[in-house]
Amino acid sequence: MPLARHLTTCCALSLYASCAGAQVRAGEWVSYRDAYRAMVVFEKYGGPKTYLQSQLQVAPQDRTTAFDTLQLTLAGKTNGVNLPLDPLGRTAFPLLKAAYDENVALVLSRKIGAFTVRPRISIALQADGVYEDAELRTACEQALGFARYGDGSLRNRQCGGVRFVFPKRAGEAGVRLQRADGSDVALAVAGGIAFQGDMDGNFPTVLYRFKGAERGQLITANPPLAIVPLFE
Amino acid sequence: MTKLSAFACAVVSCAAVSGAALAQTPAANLMPDGSHDMYVGLGVASTPRYEGGADRKRQVLPVFQFQWSNGIFVSGLSAGIHMARTPQVEFGPLVEVQPRRDDGGNGDDVGGIEDAGSSIQAVPDLFAAKLAAAFPENRLAGMVEIHTRLQAGGFLNLYLSPQWRLTSRTLYGAGNERHGARLDLGVQRLATHIGAQHRVTLAAGVTLVNRSHNAAFFGVSEEESMNSGNAIYAPAGGLKDVHLRARWNWTLAPAWVLTTHAQASRLQGDARRSPLVARPTNLAVSTAVAWRF
Repeated sequence: MPLARHLTTCCALSLYASCAGAQVRAGEWVSYRDAYRAMVVFEKYGGPKTYLQSQLQVAPQDRTTAFDTLQLTLAGKTNGVNLPLDPLGRTAFPLLKAAYDENVALVLSRKIGAFTVRPRISIALQADGVYEDAELRTACEQALGFARYGDGSLRNRQCGGVRFVFPKRAGEAGVRLQRADGSDVALAVAGGIAFQGDMDGNFPTVLYRFKGAERGQLITANPPLAIVPLFE
Repeated sequence: MTKLSAFACAVVSCAAVSGAALAQTPAANLMPDGSHDMYVGLGVASTPRYEGGADRKRQVLPVFQFQWSNGIFVSGLSAGIHMARTPQVEFGPLVEVQPRRDDGGNGDDVGGIEDAGSSIQAVPDLFAAKLAAAFPENRLAGMVEIHTRLQAGGFLNLYLSPQWRLTSRTLYGAGNERHGARLDLGVQRLATHIGAQHRVTLAAGVTLVNRSHNAAFFGVSEEESMNSGNAIYAPAGGLKDVHLRARWNWTLAPAWVLTTHAQASRLQGDARRSPLVARPTNLAVSTAVAWRF
């Protein structure tokens, strides 16, 4: 066993030495290949997804991390791409063969400690801020179809509604529901998380539940950060 | 020839660690067309000298896993093709090298004794005496060598969720008669994240074999009984073992991974009752540093 222990120690020390001299600190990067594997699933999905968008979300271990001015960077020898993060820590992820082949690291422009990344599916925003109930139902069904494609345990879930997530700036959150009968109501705003598993539960959110055959139109005064489908 | 010998040494060395322990079907790997994902490394392993053996051996362990965008993979001593095109199922053909088992293991001293194997029939008592001196409790002394065999079969994995998958694979062609068949059934908890760079995979499973497989690895023929002193034993097929596995991958850098594997297994049924089995519960551990490219 002394030989085995000696070999292991030598290997470990040699790696630590090489890592210490690198720009990337342990725990403050993720593998582009691993991120690619997670993100390309949506790209290859052949089902309906016209109302959906897929983004990569940074998930820091420190729950107090703010994503303002933070960028994700492909730190490759031949690929240098900066990806600005939105307040939810998300960014559009480029599927680059060259970056995959080079096995580059994804690093952040500011040190926030260790983090992981995960794919997030949300409903694409409309430029005019008007969302038909039928469109949101269809979008939610598309999202559920994609979720079931990757996770068979979701086969018993149903679409229950959507959650509008707004920036934390005062006065930006608000969704009005205009029903077919002409009534117009403002939906309640409450603090909450954007996506299941997120740590920051202080985003202004508006929950819209699908109710039977009720039809209407939802109007946002300001663009939300995300519209998240809810499965129940 | 030198390269061939070096490759053969690497394969045999890896094989000796325990083909069953290391050769797990890797999950399907989504990558750009024309790309690959490869790991090559070196480490150390401590394993039983053979399944059911009481003594252990420690050795340098080469590790490798290659995957290509067309679905072909090589992982340890097995190779196959991912044929499925959906995330919830994996299936395809599989081949695997069944490593050789000789009567003295793979150490140099034993190799010297093995060289005298051609005279086993002529001077069995002398041969057994030499082995007994090298391994006082060696129950393989006097047993016929089981040659390296290429087994063929397939695998089928079903995902219950992205984290849980049921695994199965069947292989045929083990043993000197090439009639040994095995079916591995298991459940895996995939890649639990412990910190940003640490992933732990847990698995539990059973191995079922046919009579030929058990006879090859745990049976004792009349001739072997005469040479080894073990009682004649003709096992039937059935449940061969139950096992638990854990793999911990520590990603030190995008291109470097420290991979550590442990397997505890317990022989069952006729395999456990074999006179060759000195210890039915075995533990195999290994750790290696791998370069990803």
